Amino acid sequence: MKPAPHIYALTNSSLLFDASHLDATDRLSIQKKIWALASHCKSTDEFSDLVPAMNSLTLYLKSDKHLNKWLQVLPSLWNDIKTSTFKGQHHLIKTSYKGEDINYVARYHNLSADEVINIHSKTKYYVLFLGFQPGFAYLHGLNEQLHTPRRDEPRTRVPKGSVAIGAAQTGIYPADTPGGWHIIGHTDTVLFDSTSEQPCLIQPGDTLEFVPLVNKGANHD
Amino acid sequence: MIKVLKSGVLLTIQDFGREGYRHLGVSKAGSLDPYAQIIANRLLNNNDNDAVLEITVGLCELEFTCDTVIALHGADLQATLDGHAIYPGWTYALKNKQVLSFATGRAGLRAYLAVKGGIQNAEVMGSKSTDLNACFGGFEGRSLTTGDEIPITPYYGEFIKVGAIAPAQRKLIRLHPSPHADLLGETLLSNFVSTAFKVSNNSNRMGVRLEHKNNLGHSHSLPSLGVSPGSIQLPPSGEPIVLLNDGQTTGGYPLLGTVIEADLRQFAQFRPLDTVEFKYVTFEEAAKAKQKLDGHLHQLSLALKNTL
Repeated sequence: MKPAPHIYALTNSSLLFDASHLDATDRLSIQKKIWALASHCKSTDEFSDLVPAMNSLTLYLKSDKHLNKWLQVLPSLWNDIKTSTFKGQHHLIKTSYKGEDINYVARYHNLSADEVINIHSKTKYYVLFLGFQPGFAYLHGLNEQLHTPRRDEPRTRVPKGSVAIGAAQTGIYPADTPGGWHIIGHTDTVLFDSTSEQPCLIQPGDTLEFVPLVNKGANHD
Repeated sequence: MIKVLKSGVLLTIQDFGREGYRHLGVSKAGSLDPYAQIIANRLLNNNDNDAVLEITVGLCELEFTCDTVIALHGADLQATLDGHAIYPGWTYALKNKQVLSFATGRAGLRAYLAVKGGIQNAEVMGSKSTDLNACFGGFEGRSLTTGDEIPITPYYGEFIKVGAIAPAQRKLIRLHPSPHADLLGETLLSNFVSTAFKVSNNSNRMGVRLEHKNNLGHSHSLPSLGVSPGSIQLPPSGEPIVLLNDGQTTGGYPLLGTVIEADLRQFAQFRPLDTVEFKYVTFEEAAKAKQKLDGHLHQLSLALKNTL
């Protein structure tokens, strides 16, 4: 029998759809279904928030009248949903690979800085979900060759726009924040702007790649 | 305008907060005690969602530079108007140049100050609330400080003094069941509900941390899942965290359950060292508790309709 997702009523008006136990080796395929499920639910206009996380979706209903209906329909929706019904946007993130830790990361892996740049920028990353702070994307796809343990001493301030690697993940900091990841580059792309019509550039299910800026002495510091 | 002479411990502009942006990592923000906000606003015939000042602990001083009417609700932080005591639950007419001061209270932590017409700061992402972590909304995305001038609309109309009592406070908090009951196990969950917790000093608008002497430690970590105000996280240390309005949108700790909507406002008023206990309830009991609170508000509206 195929393992089924777990579905819980968290409150009278919210549900947790949890597929994180289904197949830890193929998180991306499961996540594609999560995005499609979220997109379908959004189209019903019955939810105030739909929050994808790692192979799960938390659904916040506008009215508690609909809780039981969704508890019942979610399993069959999951079985029927086609990942092709959801399509994210692709973003090019222009990156100056001159972060203060790029040489550390290169040395750690016995690579040159150029090789690190090459590997990091030749990958298509999937935005699994956002969290931690507005506009912070958890990305899927960092090449194993670049997995690097976090810094022993987190920095008290990682500047906005930093492109960084922490363990098996890579990401971009939308705002100044403390952080323990290795900074390999910087982008001027604005990821979060509360005054903009669309405050976050990147949405769950989008894809992105880093485009190295050819340096002619340009310096963002 | 309201001029901040002294900002005290934490003074912010809040309304009901933000909705529809949690998938982008944006927190709710908003009044931690929304019922206090609603009652204060209704006493002034404002809209329920009009922006108010959330005053944490007190020790602040505000000068009004125009006439208005105010309503005070939530904790009694020993407020005075030009040196004369005023009380939560009531409305007061204020004249230009009057000074409203807050000392601090013996019970409760947060007072709510509504002004006639609501605070007139700009909406950002659908709300006037201050997001203190992401630094936007409210007043320049930060807590208020000495010298700030908060925009309000002067009011010279008639004034009828009205008052309203607050729904009762409680220390036994009702919870929805844990989605991670199998993972955490019956023993841990029964230890949890038999523990009297103390509110930690290390609590804020993001969450209330709870201290205790029992052993609730564990070694589970989970793939990130969506969390919201009311989610109770259990980190491996075994010290639960009740997430509040400024809390993050996802987290990787198992959940002990979720505080029912009717009881979440209690966490706005717990002070460090206050005792808190928990009890799991059914979805029907939770709905009933919410109806009771809404009934309180409905009664208030009916009574005010005949007065205002």
